[in-house]
Amino acid sequence: MTPFELAEPKTLNEAIALLDAEDPDVRPISGGTALMLMMKSGVFRPNRLVSLQRVEADYSRIQRGGDGTLRIGALASLSQIEHSGEVRQVAPVIEKTMRHLSNVRVRNVARLGGNLAHGDPHMDLPPVLSSLGAKAIVAGPSGQREIMIEELFSGYYETVLDRNELITFVDVPSQAGWSSVYFKCTTRSADDWPALGIACSLRVENGSIGDVRLMISAATEKLTRLVATEKVLRGQQASEALFERAGESAMAEAEVIDDSRGSASYKSELVRVYVKRALRQASVGATQS
Amino acid sequence: MSEHAKSISFELNGSKTEMLVETHENLVELLIRMNLNGARESCGQGLCGCCTVIVDGSAVSGCLYPAAFVDGKTVTTVEHLDNNVHLSPVQEAFIEEGAFQCGFCTSGFILMTHQLLEEKPKPTDEEIRDYLAGNLCRCAAYPEIIKAVKSAANKMARA
Repeated sequence: MTPFELAEPKTLNEAIALLDAEDPDVRPISGGTALMLMMKSGVFRPNRLVSLQRVEADYSRIQRGGDGTLRIGALASLSQIEHSGEVRQVAPVIEKTMRHLSNVRVRNVARLGGNLAHGDPHMDLPPVLSSLGAKAIVAGPSGQREIMIEELFSGYYETVLDRNELITFVDVPSQAGWSSVYFKCTTRSADDWPALGIACSLRVENGSIGDVRLMISAATEKLTRLVATEKVLRGQQASEALFERAGESAMAEAEVIDDSRGSASYKSELVRVYVKRALRQASVGATQS
Repeated sequence: MSEHAKSISFELNGSKTEMLVETHENLVELLIRMNLNGARESCGQGLCGCCTVIVDGSAVSGCLYPAAFVDGKTVTTVEHLDNNVHLSPVQEAFIEEGAFQCGFCTSGFILMTHQLLEEKPKPTDEEIRDYLAGNLCRCAAYPEIIKAVKSAANKMARA
């Protein structure tokens, strides 16, 4: 690693002012896990890092709003989210996901905002949070805006965030009536980065799929919502035959890429199988709840 | 030291410590400068657990933790577990069960076991495997490690 300036602002507004819309060598750092890996491998050589360690504690809190919305501060650590009773109540799928997300030490240090803003398509939380209909609250020099998690990513390690914008909170709406699952498939070892992530949330009404959100990650360049496959599902009677058709549809719809975790044709086959499994399990959950 | 070096103060194994650190230095590198060699950088990617350090009561991978981030915090390393007098029950249990061969990963396993037993004083086999999944033992002493964790849990319950 090479020397760089480390700024340690005490407020979020100061942090935003220390960022630079034009300079890719100036970046925010929260837990630092992913950035340390990039800096150690020489992929990233910053001029300045703006540490968010000292900004207001509000941004690391987890709370429930009056309308049942769960608000998670972007600086909450992954283990804080994993062990939060509020999170478990609203969306138990998040806790289940955390158990297989990296390891205890990484979860103790890595923060939600960094996990999302890194733009890495292999992360588990983007598909899970987007299938829950969550949105990011983003702050920049000209104020705030809201971005649905599924719209946050513009490419491989790329997001729609400006260089001087920061994710401040993630809002997860009430999940009443919804059932959610996340399946990740690793091809080399159990703790490898996924070759495929499938997150699915759905509602079953009178035996039919009332509504559904279906996300794919890791096998594609960026997190992608499988819109056409959702249309295949909506309003249809929940059945093995339907899930089979949805698997075929997802396989045709997803733009799967080759990498060291598998060829595109192999991963397409994974998509077909895992979409079917995810739908089957989510619909069982929806019928039981 | 470069122009970007920072002066930090923190508590290291019970003692107030002040140091000048480089912003690009990680916590393991800082500890080696203090002649504390228990945390070792091995995989360098936070996967193996050999560099485990406790910061403000939480286990972190020292190799991925910027040294400057311990400013104002409390840092505990494996060297502090015996308080310079008695081995901790976890250390005793690892020796009694022979839960290592080369010993390179042992300090990480011991610190993670302390964390686990703090959270779950009577862990099941599955909980032990889950919690220690991020620690690798290339001698594959895993069966003995699981025995040692259980034995340490019993020792601590009796104490």
